[in-house]
Amino acid sequence: MKRRNFIGGTAVGGALLGAGDGPGTAHAWPYRDVDYGMSGYNVFTLSGEVVFDKNLVIERAVEGKPHKGKVLAAIQAHSDDVPLFSAGVIAKLINEGYEGYLIRTTNEAGSAGGTVGEGMVNAEQHGPAIAQALGMKKAIDLNFKKHQLETINIQELKMQLIFLIRALKIDTIVTFDPYNLYEENPDHSFTAAAVMPASWHAAGMTDYPEFAQAAGITGHLVRDKYFHPRSPQGHNVINRIVDISDVIDQKVEANIANYNFGPCGVNGSLLRNRLAQEGKRLPVLGNSDRSANFNYIKDLMMEDWRRLGKEFGLEYAEAFHYINRDYGDTSVEEYVNDNAVPL
Amino acid sequence: MDTQKIKIKQVENTTAGKIFHVAREYAVNDNVVVEFAQETKPYRGKVFAAVQANVGDISKYCAGTAAKLIKEGYTGYLIRTTNDEKTGNGSNAENILRAERENKQIAKELGFTDVYNLYNCQHRLHDRSLLEVSARFIFIFRALKVDTVLSYDPRNTDEPDHDRLFTARAVEEACMYSGTETHLPVFEEGGIMPFPVRQRYYYITSPAQRYNRVIDIGTAIDKKINAMSLCSSTGLGRKGSQIRKELAAQGKRLPVLGSDDRTADREYIRHFLMPKYGAFEEAGQFGLEYAERFVYFDDSEQEEEKHLAEYIRKNAVTV
Repeated sequence: MKRRNFIGGTAVGGALLGAGDGPGTAHAWPYRDVDYGMSGYNVFTLSGEVVFDKNLVIERAVEGKPHKGKVLAAIQAHSDDVPLFSAGVIAKLINEGYEGYLIRTTNEAGSAGGTVGEGMVNAEQHGPAIAQALGMKKAIDLNFKKHQLETINIQELKMQLIFLIRALKIDTIVTFDPYNLYEENPDHSFTAAAVMPASWHAAGMTDYPEFAQAAGITGHLVRDKYFHPRSPQGHNVINRIVDISDVIDQKVEANIANYNFGPCGVNGSLLRNRLAQEGKRLPVLGNSDRSANFNYIKDLMMEDWRRLGKEFGLEYAEAFHYINRDYGDTSVEEYVNDNAVPL
Repeated sequence: MDTQKIKIKQVENTTAGKIFHVAREYAVNDNVVVEFAQETKPYRGKVFAAVQANVGDISKYCAGTAAKLIKEGYTGYLIRTTNDEKTGNGSNAENILRAERENKQIAKELGFTDVYNLYNCQHRLHDRSLLEVSARFIFIFRALKVDTVLSYDPRNTDEPDHDRLFTARAVEEACMYSGTETHLPVFEEGGIMPFPVRQRYYYITSPAQRYNRVIDIGTAIDKKINAMSLCSSTGLGRKGSQIRKELAAQGKRLPVLGSDDRTADREYIRHFLMPKYGAFEEAGQFGLEYAERFVYFDDSEQEEEKHLAEYIRKNAVTV
């Protein structure tokens, strides 16, 4: 088990966000040592150094629906990406009022068992099921060829994302961190690489003006982005820890919905049945396929997110690099308010 | 093209117009259909898009047809794929701005409802993704409900301009898929539904290209000449006044160019450019003074049903 060292703390961040256990609590200096070992249960985790920003924020659940009227898009390359790495924050934000869309960039050719065609039909059903588990409105598939996203002309993917951001008026995006260290899956990197410029260009009107000219679909600004890593503890610079304790069961359900693809799905019941044939059982899997699937995911696959949460005094947590677009404008406006004098 | 070689074997009058059955090497499918101007508005409610890579191409090759279709009821949209940064003698930006303005003026002269500029860098269009450019056309065709498209012929083997060839290919692909539900369903998220393009007119830009459709533009010739005169970017629009000035400096004048710059520009086009762009040599053989030539495709199911009905009429027997 590896020891993870990270730096956490803030000075300015705390002043902006307020003290105490508010929705976003900045942790104070000094540095903090963390003894955080990976469980090893999740086959997709990659080891790598993590840097925790000194203005790290812990985002907690809030009462009511403060985000009512806002729209979020969770953009994944494959149907297990969101369930594994960001289903918690999505469920939390949806519960707090967001309307959500699940967008998948690849066609999942070769996934989900059987022939290529059979697998793709299966995978096509995952999206709506995952969206339903998380309370999202709709799943949208863009169907670029799986595992070959680095070969497409990225402008074509950007164009489709710009269209969706404007048409659906997406305010918040959750997707892969484009700077995931040692990311081995090009679909993740290129999905994120397309999302980055698309989320910016969607605000203007000079890129693809025909969307407005022909159909009245005008520019729309993406206000914030949650970039998640390909491993629970994070990669690169983490500046936001989201408390997903209240929604962990929804995250589990989202992973069950991805039923025959990825490390979760129905692997619990498959394991239970395999053990039964060997004359054995795992007590944690319970007495039914349903309990086996649920408990396999919650007790084993979600272990890393439980360990991450524990470092911050939470039951479960997800780690992100969070970007908010309002920083510059707010600072200038504040300065104007503080310093403008009569003519 | 040598007029003596065009052998007209038969002339047939149909509801679609006059069909001239000609020798195969001069026409696609052995037939040339002539569309004459109509007094009524039979195309009311229909939409067409005229596509060009560079400002001036529509005015040269299909302005008469565009004006005719608009007069007969079509709503027309003009789409330009490049930014024309290399068209003209100014800097890149100056050329782009001039072309932008002239494109708008030409569209207004011909009666287009709106102009779409895709602003790809001129002479670098083949660096773009064909899928992305064609996707933009698909969006526009669906959003505007385009029934008919005027564009370059993607099979013109004499065309050296890659911008034209790429544009032609992207447009053809878009025409093929604009009505297909499974192609780019993403646009449905914005309420933009599939819409099939039914007719394609590929305008002729090279002398040896084969064609199968000739449009009588006699009633629209002045609009075509006006449109061509508005395009100074290519150098042709202001040639008449330029020649007039040069002759005046030598103490001379050409009566055909008239006594002012505007007349000189227009009359230069009429007398010196129309043989290439509107009064081509064979036009007379079709009984026309001015015409534009196309490779025409009717992709409507109506055409297939017509053929089926005709086949049934000729071949059905009693049980």
